[in-house]
Amino acid sequence: MVKKRKHSEVTASEPKKKDEPAPERPKRTLLGWKDKFEEKETDSSVFRNKEKVLVTCSRRIIYRYRHLMLNLVSILPHCKKDSKVESKESKGATLNELVELKNCSSCLFFECRKQKDLYLWMAKCPNGPSVKFLVNAVHTMEELKLTGNQLKGSRPILTFSSNFDKNPYWKLLKEIILQIFGTPKEHRKSKPYHDHVFVFSIVDDHIWFRNYQISVPHNETDKVDRGGMDKMTLVEIGPRFCLNPIKIFGGSFGGPTLYENPFYISPNQIRAMEKKKKAGKFAKKVKAKTRRKMHEQSNPLEPDEFADLWKG
Amino acid sequence: MIPQVINLWIPRLLVSSKGKQMGTTTGFRREEGTSFASLELKTINPILAEMAVLKQQPTLFNGDTVDRVDVNGEPSESESEPESESEDEDVKLSEPSKTSINNKDGLLEKLADISWPENVEWVHKLSIDIDQEQAVDVNDDLARELAFYTQALEGTRQAFEKLQSMGLPFLRPPDYYAEMVKTDAHMEKVKGRLLVEKKKIEEAEERRKARDAKKIAKEVQSQKLKERAKQKKEDIESVKKWRKQRQQSGFAGGDKDGEMPFSFDDGKVFERSNKKRPGVAPGDRSGGKAGFRGGKAGFRGGMGKKGGDKMRKDREHKNSKFGFGGRKGLKKQNTSETTNDLRGYNKGNTGNRKRKR
Repeated sequence: MVKKRKHSEVTASEPKKKDEPAPERPKRTLLGWKDKFEEKETDSSVFRNKEKVLVTCSRRIIYRYRHLMLNLVSILPHCKKDSKVESKESKGATLNELVELKNCSSCLFFECRKQKDLYLWMAKCPNGPSVKFLVNAVHTMEELKLTGNQLKGSRPILTFSSNFDKNPYWKLLKEIILQIFGTPKEHRKSKPYHDHVFVFSIVDDHIWFRNYQISVPHNETDKVDRGGMDKMTLVEIGPRFCLNPIKIFGGSFGGPTLYENPFYISPNQIRAMEKKKKAGKFAKKVKAKTRRKMHEQSNPLEPDEFADLWKG
Repeated sequence: MIPQVINLWIPRLLVSSKGKQMGTTTGFRREEGTSFASLELKTINPILAEMAVLKQQPTLFNGDTVDRVDVNGEPSESESEPESESEDEDVKLSEPSKTSINNKDGLLEKLADISWPENVEWVHKLSIDIDQEQAVDVNDDLARELAFYTQALEGTRQAFEKLQSMGLPFLRPPDYYAEMVKTDAHMEKVKGRLLVEKKKIEEAEERRKARDAKKIAKEVQSQKLKERAKQKKEDIESVKKWRKQRQQSGFAGGDKDGEMPFSFDDGKVFERSNKKRPGVAPGDRSGGKAGFRGGKAGFRGGMGKKGGDKMRKDREHKNSKFGFGGRKGLKKQNTSETTNDLRGYNKGNTGNRKRKR
């Protein structure tokens, strides 16, 4: 009898052992203990934002735009800053390679031409669409009139104006901006609280960017009372810029043109037009002179009565 | 409104400098929770009046004024060469260029390629769409910035409501110290600048007030002087009239009634005004201050403390003795008490001095 019992016990325990492998130590994370089993089950259906942005610029970029780039680097924790890129021949291929090398999924490339104009490329790599913008009205965070401040790496709240849904190209731009400027949820360098808000709004066919700090009186970390919501105020942190879309390409830094802005004039053309206006000055003057001469000849003046008034 | 408004800034920035961690972190600033206005940047002073909607002002910059100018070009044959009246870098074509491409299908296809799956929770995106009610004029700086500000405010409200309903912590606790995007040194500079501007505004206010007060004071003063002159004139006139009357009525001596033409309205005509010699009986030429003290201290020769109290030469003493306005020629200095007072001459020191020489 005893033996039987023993045997049964042994058999009972063995299948048990087979079922459960030695329970592994649960994974330790910052938030607590994570059970490995749970994770395995839901792994496939959970969406994880693994966006990584490569931020580079061309050579001969001037101080203002360099500071703008550095400001963006500081407010996007999911970006990698890289060294300057030679902007001559086939920059598309070089940039694509660079992005691949750094294992990034999108790219912000600041291209400065003639030390005057800044072009910003936003691209989803490896084969996503890319956009080229002309950047205007740049104000960096170093300006003392922008008095707000934010946690370095906190996730922003993105606000888009409703006219982003009007045309397909705006929709595409909205998606690209959302993915590039939105910090992934559990990024290593991200901080937990939401204390700033980005504003992207389309005014006059340009995309205007603003970054505000949220200040709301509160006592707890997860609740704001009614009165508090009304007393919410925003302070501008910066930077500020205005984007004028030039072209949207199907590929990354190249490819078929999907959209071209009909109202865009390149800054070179603008400067050329200004110069042309001024260029004709001398010719016009000469013409005016000859015209005057002809006029005088054809309409002679009457002899002056007082011509002989004073001798000499 | 203005000084009060800026006052709200200062406590925030003052608190920021405490509690540093590793040298580059900034402490959390407590917000007052009341409204404030950020300064307009074109000039220091025009802090604009409260807007009905918000009670806050967005910041404006000098460089943003005319970014875009719409072109009043003649419709030209060639597509992209209108005449421009641009003053700034960016100019828009009057009519869209004919060669522009708009491949809607391609765009939508790419959009589908890159978008995240549909069932992604909002927490990952954190995006809010706000309706822009009115078309905003680009060149009107204030309206434009206000539109952006409203959009941001509305967006944050909605986002916070969503986050609150999720129950996740999203507001920063007061003891959370972490690295900020702008360094403490930078924030100090910001604070310094705000203080300077506040001081300038206050000084301007004070100067203006002082100017106004001076004007008013001057007016009041001139009024007073006029009044006094008038009163004096009237008095003299009335005396003259009385004299004439008496002359005319032939100095009727028996008539003791003697109408006094002086209109003793206030009954104070013969008394001097109290203000000039306060605390002094009329007719007392020694002044109120020269009373008993002279008797006591003078016996000792008054040499104790630089001539004692009686010899005090300060303003109060002189005013009470000579009336307001100082000495009148040093002609008469003796009063009834001092006429027979020969204390200074009794000892004969002056005589001795002369002999000793």
